[in-house]
Order: sequence, then C-alpha cells, then structure tokens
Amino acid sequence: MRYTKAIIPIALCIMLLSLAAPAQKRKGHAAKPRKPIAVTAIDLEALKGLIKQERQHPLLVNFWATYCDPCRDEFPELVQIDKDYRPRSLEFVTISLDDVSDIKTSVPKFLDSMKATMPAYLLDVSDPEPAIDLVDPKWQGSLPATFLYNEKGEIIWRHVGRVNATELREEIEKVVKKAEK
Amino acid sequence: MKTRNLSILLAGLFVIAGAVCAAAARAEGEVPAPPAIGATIEDFTLPDYDNKDRSLKSLAGKNGTVLIFVAVQCPVSNAYNERMEKLAQEYQAKGIAVIGINSNVAEDAAAVKNHASTHNLTFPILKDPGNKIADKFGASVTPEAYLIDRNNKLVYHGRIDNARNAAEVQSADLRNAIEATLSGKPIEKTEAKAFGCSIKRS
Repeated sequence: MRYTKAIIPIALCIMLLSLAAPAQKRKGHAAKPRKPIAVTAIDLEALKGLIKQERQHPLLVNFWATYCDPCRDEFPELVQIDKDYRPRSLEFVTISLDDVSDIKTSVPKFLDSMKATMPAYLLDVSDPEPAIDLVDPKWQGSLPATFLYNEKGEIIWRHVGRVNATELREEIEKVVKKAEK
Repeated sequence: MKTRNLSILLAGLFVIAGAVCAAAARAEGEVPAPPAIGATIEDFTLPDYDNKDRSLKSLAGKNGTVLIFVAVQCPVSNAYNERMEKLAQEYQAKGIAVIGINSNVAEDAAAVKNHASTHNLTFPILKDPGNKIADKFGASVTPEAYLIDRNNKLVYHGRIDNARNAAEVQSADLRNAIEATLSGKPIEKTEAKAFGCSIKRS
C-alpha cells in the first residue's frame, strides 16, 4: 500500500514530463526563425525578360506597395491563390513599387507577415513610366494592379484595384486548364 | 453576458469593416476618364482646410494654375512636399498659382491643416468632399498634377517628375510644362503617367 502511494505521484510526474517534453520540442520548432524573404531589385530590362517572353507556364504578376491599403488588404487572398495554383504550374510573382530603400526593411517584413512564398521583386528604376508602359500601355500605374499572362507573354486578364478573388480564380482556372491539356 | 456583448460588438465591427472594404474595392478601378488635353476647365468651389469656400477662379494665377491632388498619409505624396512648396514659391511671382486638393475620404480638414502646418506647405489646400473634383479630373493617385493655362485650358496632366527620390529627378515634366506655358512655346510632353497612392474615394 505504501509503495502504491509512492508510485502514484512518481507515475504522474513521469506522465507530465513525457507530455511536457514534446511540447517543449514543438515550441522549439515553432520558435525557429523562418528564412527571411529576399526581395530582388528588378530594372526595366529584367522586367522585360520576366514578363515579355515565352514561357512554359502562365504567369500572374501583382504590382503592389506597402503604402497601398487595398494592396495590403488583398494580399492574403493572393498568398492563398499562390498556394493553390503553384502545384498546378501557375507562376506567380509580386513586384513592389516601394522605394528601393525599403527593399530590406518594410517590404520583406510585410511579405513575411503574410507568409508569402512567391518570388518577390521591387521595381528599381529612376523613371517608372517606361516600366508601366511595358507592362500595359493601358495601365496608369495605379495600385494594386494584377496581370495574367499566357505562355506567349500576352496579357489575357488585367485588373486595377483590389482583385475579386473569385473572378481571378476563374481566370486562372481557364488558363491553367488550357495549359494542362 | 459580457462575452455575448463582446461577440455582438465584434460581429458589428466585422460588418462595418466589410462594408468599408467593399466600398474601397468598388471605388478602385472606377475612376472616370480625365479631361482631354486642350479641354476647358470650368470653375469649381471647394472648402479649404479652414472650411472657407474657395473657387478656382479666385485662386487662379494670372498666367496659369497648377492643381495637385495630394494626401496626408501617402509616402509618395509626402516625398514631394518640399518640391511642391518650392514650385509654389518659385512660380508665384511668375503668375502661376499652385493649389492642392485632398480628396481622400479618411483625411479630414483638420488632418489636412495639421499636415500642411507640419510640412510648411503654404499654398492653399482644398478639401474635396465626396471626391467630386477628383472624379471630374479623373485623378487616380497622389500626387497627380494638372496645369491649366491662362485661358482655362488643360495643358498638362500627370506626374510632377519621374522620381519619388528628389535626387533621381531626370525629367521635371510639370516644371517643363509650366516653363513652356510661360514662354508661349508648345509643351513637349503634355501627359506623363502619375504614380503614387490611390485616392481613397468615398
């Protein structure tokens, strides 16, 4: 009986310790810092190479900036779209129009907070007008702006302002299905 | 009971936030077309940040007027504060008036006044309730400039210059247009795409 009384608290301690150990491991794993997102500066030539060329897969490009409220608002939906469609061969890049001095500060900080994994660029040009015209002469440069290109580098869908995620998904479905055939 | 009240409050906040976002989303991409270069600009009246009505006619310069859509919180517009003020000071003596217009729904007259005082902006800044004038001019972003000549014709529309960073300015488009207007020469570039923060419409 005496032994039994002694065993109960010991067993309880062992149980608690065994529960605590994996919890500590989990905590340790969660606390491990994620690799910070690298934002690449992109000039006019590189932008041309990125969007105006034939490629294997359709390409979605989102122009945004940290100072743009609707850009920040729509970002979680874009991150989800990237997660859903990257396995189905949609290429998706974001291009920030923030100041180049923000390339290692506010831009990656925001992308990190969104858990964004798409390749991230920041437009590094002294004159944005040729870049805006290169992307789409009809675009005035207002943000956010989202463009969907087919494999030939042609714009097949554009939207200036916050995207309607359902509409964007429908457009992506069309182009991805076509590419999958 | 407290939890229930909190839930109702949170639900209410979500509904309000949703409505605000929907309004913002609706406003985006629905900017009316701007007047064509050469179009006559009609007089309009807006309140300044002291709530005093000011007409375009009463503020216009004898040789022309620059309207610039500006913002309180937009970092791009703010990067141009010094340049806008310099432009206003420099061309005042040459008969060109600079007028700022704030059409952002979330920036009230008090915020505009405080911002102008903090950043030493001495040119008049008008508040555009319901963004009626922004719609009339088809203004999308801040800063976005319009030059009206002495005959009330729109002669330039677009950016102030090519670079947010003043040290990287290579093409002072608005200044070039003003100089051409003053010297009676044709303006080489009458339009240049403005870049900045979207105007938050109501």
